[in-house]
Amino acid sequence: MEVLVRIENVKKIYRRDEFDVPVLNGVSVDVGRGDFLALMGPSGSGKTTLLNLIAGIDRPTGGRILVEEKEISRFSETQLASWRARHVGFIFQLYNLIPVLNAFENVELPLLLTKLSRKERREHVNTALNIVGLGDRMFHYPRQLSGGQEQRVAIARAIVTDPTIIVADEPTGDLDARNAEEVLNLLQRLNDEFQKTIIMVTHDPKAAQHARRTLHLEKGMLVEMLTGAGMEAMSARAEA
Amino acid sequence: MKFSKLIYRNIFRNRLRAILTVLLMAAIFFFIATLLSILENFTLFSEAGKGQNRLATQSAISLANVLPVAHEQKIRQIPGIVDVCQMQWFGAYYKEPKNFFANFAIDHHHMRTVFDDYAIPDKEFEAYANDRQGTIVGPELMKRFGWKVGDRITLKSTIFPFNPELNIRGVYKHPIDSSSLFFRMDYFQQAMGNNGLVGMFWIKVKDAKNMTSVSKQIDDMFRNSTDPTETFTEKEFQLNFLSMMGDIKLLFHSISLCSIFMVILLAAITMSMSARERVTEIAVLKAIGFPRGLVLTLMLIEFALLTLIGGTVGVLGGTFVYRFVNMTEVTQGFLVNFGLYPTPIIACVIASLGVGLLAGGWPAMRSANMSVVDGLRRVV
Repeated sequence: MEVLVRIENVKKIYRRDEFDVPVLNGVSVDVGRGDFLALMGPSGSGKTTLLNLIAGIDRPTGGRILVEEKEISRFSETQLASWRARHVGFIFQLYNLIPVLNAFENVELPLLLTKLSRKERREHVNTALNIVGLGDRMFHYPRQLSGGQEQRVAIARAIVTDPTIIVADEPTGDLDARNAEEVLNLLQRLNDEFQKTIIMVTHDPKAAQHARRTLHLEKGMLVEMLTGAGMEAMSARAEA
Repeated sequence: MKFSKLIYRNIFRNRLRAILTVLLMAAIFFFIATLLSILENFTLFSEAGKGQNRLATQSAISLANVLPVAHEQKIRQIPGIVDVCQMQWFGAYYKEPKNFFANFAIDHHHMRTVFDDYAIPDKEFEAYANDRQGTIVGPELMKRFGWKVGDRITLKSTIFPFNPELNIRGVYKHPIDSSSLFFRMDYFQQAMGNNGLVGMFWIKVKDAKNMTSVSKQIDDMFRNSTDPTETFTEKEFQLNFLSMMGDIKLLFHSISLCSIFMVILLAAITMSMSARERVTEIAVLKAIGFPRGLVLTLMLIEFALLTLIGGTVGVLGGTFVYRFVNMTEVTQGFLVNFGLYPTPIIACVIASLGVGLLAGGWPAMRSANMSVVDGLRRVV
């Protein structure tokens, strides 16, 4: 599999008042194009920080992050913003839709940064909303949608620009089991049918089962790499 | 503009707050536009005699002091003078003190040459000239008190010991002054026992270039007399007259600036609240690729539009209000033909835009500069 994201000895230290708090202590990992990677680990293990670094919304204290062989960790803030607009789709735990915009307008937001015409934007938004099964809820506002529907709108917003990577931070963390399963199936479909590269942070071993690969982080270090079989065993332990 | 919907929705995301902010701006800018228009009204009035080559000669001691009528003949000796007209501020009211307006005793023989910008139909002027108790009145006053030509009115004096009984003989027309009353100087002098004293002289000069030299010659002529004079151009005279009310200009400008300062602080509170509520949303926008400059621009446009709407509502409301409210009546003749003038309207609209940019600048910059990670972590 072609390497899409290369993480080389990445370190991240946060400064809290006069204290340095190390969060990532030299993580190295490759993510292939079309991969579906789950990042697991206890709270404070550094999984969200790693996700933020890959998505280009944070910068490492040390090491290198390369996406499509470009070292994004050296990009300026403006270059990063432009890069994110073209290459990254975001899915958040709390959906983070703009409450004053309806589903259509929320999904259209990333396209406003492109040179697409109004008609082209409309076509892209329609396609994205149909993929997530919300073609009939286009003009509903977030407050008029259920949690699961809101998250599907967020997924449509993440895929509408056809990004290189989709990053999802606890995408099922705020959903009930049925909606969580629907969202995970949707992500899996995006990976299987559309070959989207997805990196997902989760606490839930059952959610991680949908990924092709799982990385386990503890105290800012990569401690374990689990594939399908290992994950099933972990999931069984969790259920027991 | 692609982002207009986002801007519009954000302006009115909290409808009550947006409406209250607009109303606050509207009220303040209505108030400021009114103050500035009052100043403009005064200034306009002081320009009433522009191009008329008129000089006003009063007592060098003060406007309240009188001069000998005999000064007139001496002034007439100065070359370059077209005519001289005696005038006396009478300061009376009609029926009740609240019905106050500008009224003067004037020498009707020279009135039309010196004040040729006051148009009076010949027939009406003739009737006035033939009636010692005749009077010529401005159209605004006629309307205000429901007078008609031929009516007999009595003024109540606040300065002199007699109440003139006058017959309205005509109505003058003037581009700016529409609410003054003129009655005959000989009637005034007779009532005062022909004491040979008068408030001031208005002098019409042939050539504008000679105004300064004529003015100097008049004052030089009486410098060492018992009744020295001070001569002004008409504009200087009107402004001096206004300055007797104190430094209104400074006062009004100070009040306007204080109001703008207060409104900036109030708007800044509102806008900070609005920006604070949207920390996560702004972080999301930045995460999906909105650059810092675009976030800053969108927020500044939003804040500036909100205050601009308020300012515009205020001045449009003012224009509407003053179209239907007769301010001459409300202010008992203090403000004549009052409405919001174009300069204060434009100044207020620009200032309202400035208030939005100044008040919204800090919260917008803080939001634009906020790190995406911090914004996403923040629970508002």
